[in-house]
Amino acid sequence: MSSDPNDEAGTSPDHSPREIERLIEAVAQGDRNAERQFVERYQPRVRAMLLARTRNHELTADLVQDVMIEALCALRRSQLREASKLTPFVLGIARNLLNGHFRAASRQPDSLDLPDDLPDLNPAASRLEDEERESAAMHALSRLEPLDRSILRMTLVDGLKPGVIAQRLRLKPDVVRQRKLRATRRLIDFLDGRSQIASPVHIVTRQKQ
Amino acid sequence: MNACNGKPAELCALPYLEGALPEAEAERFEEHYFDCPACLAYLQNLQAASRGLERLPATPGEPRGMTLLGWPAMNWAMAVAAAILLLAAGVSYRALHSGLKAPQVAQVTPVPAPQAKPSPRPATAPVPRINPSQLADLSLPAFAAPTLRGASEDRQFESGMEAYKRGDCRDALADLSKVPSQSTDARAAEFYCAACEMHLGDLKAAAAGMHSVEDAGDSPQQESALYYEAQIALANNDLAAAHRYLIQTIALQGDLERDARNEDRKVRELANESADEGAEKPESGSQ
Repeated sequence: MSSDPNDEAGTSPDHSPREIERLIEAVAQGDRNAERQFVERYQPRVRAMLLARTRNHELTADLVQDVMIEALCALRRSQLREASKLTPFVLGIARNLLNGHFRAASRQPDSLDLPDDLPDLNPAASRLEDEERESAAMHALSRLEPLDRSILRMTLVDGLKPGVIAQRLRLKPDVVRQRKLRATRRLIDFLDGRSQIASPVHIVTRQKQ
Repeated sequence: MNACNGKPAELCALPYLEGALPEAEAERFEEHYFDCPACLAYLQNLQAASRGLERLPATPGEPRGMTLLGWPAMNWAMAVAAAILLLAAGVSYRALHSGLKAPQVAQVTPVPAPQAKPSPRPATAPVPRINPSQLADLSLPAFAAPTLRGASEDRQFESGMEAYKRGDCRDALADLSKVPSQSTDARAAEFYCAACEMHLGDLKAAAAGMHSVEDAGDSPQQESALYYEAQIALANNDLAAAHRYLIQTIALQGDLERDARNEDRKVRELANESADEGAEKPESGSQ
């Protein structure tokens, strides 16, 4: 069970193995609330993974839906029996769909079993959390030095290596690496501070109220 | 609930997002953060920052022309040179359109970077709207240390580059030209010699030096040499040669690819304008 005191009625995205086992059983038995919990837990993880792999927000949004549908359909059919395998199971589906997409032979989710009563695959809580996180990120970025912002942009957005960034900014590659690490640390420190004010749990709780 | 303190994300999240993590490690990290809220939050924060960076306007001067840290003297020199070049370009442009003779920039201003002379044209030849030489970037390329080992073992190279950093091209040229050909810095010295010659207005010698560096094959200066050969060709109003060197620069897919593409687009536009007015296109140019 999550140690978070705000974790009531399974709103926390973190679950113990026993809880996950119950979740899997409940989804197999058609419990809609369990399905919603499953989506709330895995949708952000799958999205983070697919976004890291594709760097494409629209493609990620499409693939996340496909992964969630395929995983839910498989769980409804009781295709997963071991709770400890849930994460590799979801990751496996995500990787398969991603590879299928890159091979230009993207599979559709099992449409024969596709039910009409799927839970919201992009829950409002998740959207709110994203907005909150992004707004905090913008604030954190505004506190960085312009040069550090440039280095982070070239790294995270343009995908450039330190050597290339160094040449463009007329710096030594070691300086770029140092500044990149320092800027990342400052960014995360700032966002960690913010996240204590507005954690996902708080957002979910607010949403429920 | 795991007791992770976020260390795995500190180590892996950035290279993971950069695509620099080996596949096996990336998969292990994925399996970890799927079950680790701390590492997931770290990763999501970085992704949110990445989205934020996409939306933020680019820092002025990024990626090229960024402040040359530690080179205050050259900053000023280059800023003044850029301002004068812009002014000169404006004057030439107006003069071309008003039918007045454009003043020789070198006669009216102490220009650190030479403004190339327009090539002589027959009286009947139509004049392109913008002179190709106005596209030429003859500013001194910034010094990128050829190795990561720190100071060069070659004294001539060291003192030459010190002068170069000060913007003192004559002293730099004097020292750099003495760097022996066996030196590990010989290629860099040759490149910066050519850059100094370009800056001092000896475009012929500069072109020969750049060509020698480019011709020597794979080196950290090869792409820059090609790019500056294009600039020298532009300064000489040779659109065809500029186009050819820019295409070669683009083909190297290096740091100057984007700049070369942008400039080549302008060169082709200029060539088309010239063609419309009876001049030659680069493809059928003088080379």
